[in-house]
Amino acid sequence: MAFKSTYLGTIQDVSGTSLSVALDNTAPSGLTYVDGEGYRIGQIGSFVKIPIGYIDLFGIVTQVGASAVPENQVLAQPYGYRWIKVQLIGEGQRNGSFQRGISQYPTISDEVHLVSESDLKKIYGQPDKPYFVKVGHIAGAESIPALIDINKLVTRHSAIVGTTGSGKSTTVASILNAISDPVKYPSARVIVFDLHGEYGHALKDRANIFKVNADKTAGSIEKDLFIPFWALSFEELCSVSFGAFSNDKDENYVLEQISLAKKESLKKYAKEGVSEDTLNVDSPIAFSLNKLWYELYLENFGKFYPDRPDRPLAFELDDAGLEMKGDFSAGIPPVFKPINTNKDNGERVQHPTSNLNIGQQLHSLGAKLRIPRFDFLFKPGDWTPAEDGKTAKDLDSLIQEWIGSDKPITIMDLSGVPNSILNTIIGVLLRIIYDGLFWARNLSQGGRNRPLLLLMEEAHNYLNNEGSALPVVQKIVKEGRKYGIGAMIVSQRPSEVNSTILSQCGTFFALRLANAIDRGHITSAVTDNLEGLTSMLPILRTGEAIILGEAVKLPMRTLIDAPPKDRRPDSQDPIIYDEQEDDDSMHPGGWGIKMEDNPNYKEFLETWRAQSPFVKRIIK
Amino acid sequence: MNRQAVTSSNIASIGYDADSQTLEIEFLNGGVYQYFDVPQYVHEELMNASSHGQYLAQNIKGVYRYSKV
Repeated sequence: MAFKSTYLGTIQDVSGTSLSVALDNTAPSGLTYVDGEGYRIGQIGSFVKIPIGYIDLFGIVTQVGASAVPENQVLAQPYGYRWIKVQLIGEGQRNGSFQRGISQYPTISDEVHLVSESDLKKIYGQPDKPYFVKVGHIAGAESIPALIDINKLVTRHSAIVGTTGSGKSTTVASILNAISDPVKYPSARVIVFDLHGEYGHALKDRANIFKVNADKTAGSIEKDLFIPFWALSFEELCSVSFGAFSNDKDENYVLEQISLAKKESLKKYAKEGVSEDTLNVDSPIAFSLNKLWYELYLENFGKFYPDRPDRPLAFELDDAGLEMKGDFSAGIPPVFKPINTNKDNGERVQHPTSNLNIGQQLHSLGAKLRIPRFDFLFKPGDWTPAEDGKTAKDLDSLIQEWIGSDKPITIMDLSGVPNSILNTIIGVLLRIIYDGLFWARNLSQGGRNRPLLLLMEEAHNYLNNEGSALPVVQKIVKEGRKYGIGAMIVSQRPSEVNSTILSQCGTFFALRLANAIDRGHITSAVTDNLEGLTSMLPILRTGEAIILGEAVKLPMRTLIDAPPKDRRPDSQDPIIYDEQEDDDSMHPGGWGIKMEDNPNYKEFLETWRAQSPFVKRIIK
Repeated sequence: MNRQAVTSSNIASIGYDADSQTLEIEFLNGGVYQYFDVPQYVHEELMNASSHGQYLAQNIKGVYRYSKV
């Protein structure tokens, strides 16, 4: 027989999808050759083929040797037989097409064969189809590209997990590089949430970079990230501005005031799609938060002269004798005269009659209106509302910048967002994008017709079990598929990522993962019944991933192609002492090189103050 | 900044801006660094050195401050 050289043994036991195979005594042990290529027999994670009639069943080797002997055979054959355990995964037609799942079981005495490279090519290889992208090649078979079906990758969500230093960022960069190919996918649409500003440099020719306090010197391609506060829902707005209210009454009062302000603004500047009747407090209508804050301030703190007609407010006088009314556009509060209840000490000044109790909330918001760090929210450039709610630009141009630009990738560099509100900001960004694509789903720029991939870096930071980003992402992974919004979750601590989110990910790129708890989470989240494969996770090499799930036909142990040198993310390990000789070293620093005589800590501080790793001194 | 390609075991190209005295080095691994306040004669010597890598290691690394760009 022509394929006798691939013969391994026969099936002795079938239980569920697990097979026990006794290796034939005449079958080769160790190394065998098929068509001139060498193969090692019984490698964990390698594939086997079981021809039955017109179809071939395929399985994956999960256990080899004495412990794979079926229990009832242990006594009879302590050493005599060589056994392997196999998990069934799919079947292939003789013409080469392969599908997951099996239509019939093998039975006892069916032959089990080695899978040769030409079989693997049939299973994996369809490189001519444009909806497959190549991210690397199959480990152990250089000639077979590792192809990923982007239809499934985007709509069924995915997760990239691995210990720090296992090659996550490289994998992400490689995938981004492949799917942003301007010739193959001219309308690709990806948003990257980049918490540490790692990807801007690597993807600069294919991406727009939005950053809080963007570097706007000549040559920089960063653009300002603005998130107008009036696009936030009431709840989101409160959590980034006022903070929590102490009782429902105060909260309802503020809610009512915001609704009124939005209504007034809408009356003056009508917007398509919303009328005064359909307006609610969450509608994205511009209003002046500064004015609202000032009015609430007067109401909450405004002491007054009870003895004058109309009871005017009792402003303190400054040195020039002018009333210190404050300035609402700058967030400066008014100053009131001290309380005086005794007419003998001059004119009476009384406490405000309002029973609002939101002093602390108003001080908190006032501070944020003044601090430049929060300008991206409260003074968002062309989207800053005037006193009457007029803005230079509406939200359409903002959203167009984010998801409708000429470049396929948008990087949201969140390294300048204050940590205290980072979680909320990510939630807000995701919600605005989701809402937009959801409601525009029938339009050519909506989610169904031009789907969007959301890549979330360091997801364990904001997708654990609290925070406002979590419900939005849960909604995206549960329902995003229908509206063309796909999520790609990247994390080094999958056990700290909410389990609902992980379980909804259809495709996993599992890189080296040593921690048993993390591995357990992946094993339980993957749809394949392949514990044997996930047990390999601790021994993967750097840059090697097991790709499991819907976007691949079979689980693939893959060596990810590193992107070109100038497209690599900024996350390599620093060099402590270069292994190269001094003269050949490609690193200017490390502990082994003398440091300069006059280190410049002014520049050191400049980067910190500017929240940018590049000093002004650099020549562009 | 315009850089001039060189033949070396570790350096890909070298550029210099005389106005700001900035020396730019691109290594073969793709890393680009700017050394600040480097006098013009150092750049000239670097370009004329028989081994650019050796001159860099002996006369520039550990002498001038730099930044990755």
